[in-house]
Amino acid sequence: MKAMRKRHSLLDAIIDAVFSRPDTVAYPFGELQLPEGYRGAIVINPENCTGCGLCVRDCPTGALKLEKKSRDEFKLIHYPARCAYCSQCESSCVRGAIGHSNALVGATDRPRELIVVLKDKKEGED
Amino acid sequence: MDKISIPIGPHHPLLKEPLSMRIDIAGERVLGGTLRMGYVHRGIEKMTAQRTYVQDVHLIERICGICSHVHTTTFCLGVEKLLGIDVPPRAQYIRALMCELERVHSHLLWLGILSKHVGLETVFMHTWHDRELALDIMEGISGGRVSHAANQIGGVRFDLSPEQEVMVKENIGKLKAQVSGVLGVIENEPALRARTQGVAPVSADLIRDYCVVGPVARASGVDVDLRRDDPWPPYDQLDVNVITRPEGDAWARTLIRALETRESLRLCEVLLRQMPEGPVTVRAPRKVPEGEVVTRSEAPRGEVLYYLRSDGSDKPARLKVRTPTLAVLSLLPEQLSKIHVADIPVVLAGIDLCIACADR
Amino acid sequence: MFRGLFYLLIFPGLAFQVVCGLIFEWIDRKLLARFQRRIGPPWYQPVADLIKLFSKEDLVPLGSYDLVEVLLPLISLSAVLTAGLYIPIARFTPFSFEGDLIVIQFLMSVPTLAYYLAGIASVGIYSILGGGRSLLQYFSYEVPLLITISGPAVMAGSWSVAEISRSQLTMGPFIIFQPLGFILAVVGLIGKLKRDPLDIPSASSEVVGGSLTEFSGAKLGFWYLVMNVQAVVGIFLLVNLYMGWSNLTFPFAAILVFLVEFLLMVLILSTTSAVFARLRIDQLAGLGWRILVPLALTQLGFVILMGV
Repeated sequence: MKAMRKRHSLLDAIIDAVFSRPDTVAYPFGELQLPEGYRGAIVINPENCTGCGLCVRDCPTGALKLEKKSRDEFKLIHYPARCAYCSQCESSCVRGAIGHSNALVGATDRPRELIVVLKDKKEGED
Repeated sequence: MDKISIPIGPHHPLLKEPLSMRIDIAGERVLGGTLRMGYVHRGIEKMTAQRTYVQDVHLIERICGICSHVHTTTFCLGVEKLLGIDVPPRAQYIRALMCELERVHSHLLWLGILSKHVGLETVFMHTWHDRELALDIMEGISGGRVSHAANQIGGVRFDLSPEQEVMVKENIGKLKAQVSGVLGVIENEPALRARTQGVAPVSADLIRDYCVVGPVARASGVDVDLRRDDPWPPYDQLDVNVITRPEGDAWARTLIRALETRESLRLCEVLLRQMPEGPVTVRAPRKVPEGEVVTRSEAPRGEVLYYLRSDGSDKPARLKVRTPTLAVLSLLPEQLSKIHVADIPVVLAGIDLCIACADR
Repeated sequence: MFRGLFYLLIFPGLAFQVVCGLIFEWIDRKLLARFQRRIGPPWYQPVADLIKLFSKEDLVPLGSYDLVEVLLPLISLSAVLTAGLYIPIARFTPFSFEGDLIVIQFLMSVPTLAYYLAGIASVGIYSILGGGRSLLQYFSYEVPLLITISGPAVMAGSWSVAEISRSQLTMGPFIIFQPLGFILAVVGLIGKLKRDPLDIPSASSEVVGGSLTEFSGAKLGFWYLVMNVQAVVGIFLLVNLYMGWSNLTFPFAAILVFLVEFLLMVLILSTTSAVFARLRIDQLAGLGWRILVPLALTQLGFVILMGV
């Protein structure tokens, strides 16, 4: 019992802490490390997207919008301020077109500036 | 001495979530208190009826900011039971692994908050440093720190790669060492003991009367744990040690949670060792056949119960959630008498409130 | 005339004490952060906080005595600054006289009483609770502190801080003869400064902001300044009473030793605030009257016996 007290006392813990590197990051000056699989910004592989709208149907927050004029002419828009970054679109897409990158989307007071047109397909384009 | 009534909440440094209490005091003695809640009612149960089952999984994840995974797991278990589909064993193991990691992070978070309330900010920072390891594991394998989006109906969304398994094992090993240090502090630190030992003890009879569950019940010697009593796979293949203490005071609750953290880490290692190979998901139909189902699981704070009624469409007809916090909250006025004003934070922290869970 | 003004406003008066207070706050916060595995604030953080508070809107809640609320922090600040004038800084002491230890003790108690009045003058329930607690705490720590501090005075045979400090050159530092007294004095100082673990009157999880709940803007800034200057003055006092090494004749060595002793005291204060949990008020009263007072009396009796 005495040995345990010696090993686990709070004084030892703080001495240990002084001689180790701090855990916090002075964000935005320091570097933020995100793991590889972090669910960040929504990205799309335009070649695979056919404009089927499966992701739009399953999106829980309505962050995706499909403006479809015809099979060949459609526009897929993403509203990051509404997005919950839940990866449901990734699961719903049968062609593996939509997914997450590990880029952090920061908070903003101008959410309109974040809106991304993921795919804008015009008539006759590939 | 004159009776004064002090308001605690809806906004108070003591509370991380809105809850309102009015506490009558005379000098430094607490005479009694009343409780008012409902400040974070978001109508989630009604909202689930307006969304499809697929979308509901993500909505339910947001009932709680700490035990998000166990909510979706319980919901998915219910839907899968109605659908009659069998989840692949690997998916079950990953679900259980996430549940146990969540318990680790929830208990460590709670330990930190308790120590902050008794003025030990150093312990708060140190336990949250340890908790970060658990969050790192979950972020690494699921992509989200708190909203893991791990579950989908029919399985889990991601698989564990061999490298990830190594990372998880490494971090769990580190966590085990840290948690033993935290346990040592709780058992030996006289400052913490002086503030928590003998504060607001609750008898086992009172716990049974109020249907209190989870670590609070176990700290009073009531031996309940759904992981052992009503297990879903793979818990039925695991041998879960249920830890109880007879004292029922704030210190026993502290110790229970620290010991449970250690037990959860042991379970994580067993899960990783026994994890079978195979697929992690099966295709689930969007429409759920008519019927009703009740599923329960052991969240970090106690029993979570989901009642689900389906009318055969792709949206649930009724979803009812019962969270552990509500039962524990009803015990609060009982505990808020014959204590010191300085003990209010200890009592409040000791029951590990999750108001967002309780209000939904 | 100009010399007097210089003493009052620059050194060892206003400017020096305030700068020392800010430096103290920064070192304390930085140390605490490192104990807690954080990076901690940059060196200009205390100044930035003060500038922010002084530029903020000053809210006076309905029903509170606004003149009293303005005067209380100012009176406390001038009291602690005056107390600081009588304490030798590395042997340098312009205003020392026989009996200034008593005056310093009196002046150092003013902020605590002002804190209590601030709580009573506010309308908020937390302020009243915090004010009452501060008075309770005052009665618990002040008596042992007073008894303890008379130890060095008795030993040196003088009630002037400068004289006590100087006498240690020949007799040896009093911390060696009165280690118990030094520990008791540190406990008393922590109680006086309302620092963790004796931050009972301002415990945020219990009484929100204590007496200062209703204060805002420049008034709150002055209160924070009072706390910091009070801490510095208290540390200077203990350094002079118990660690008289700083009375070396060579000025540079005296300043260096004084600085080291100051930093040592900050380290002691920061470590105690990191390691101990806050006491309950009944625990503090028990500690004060059942443990600290008998110990202080024992120490004093010991000192008197040594003198005989």
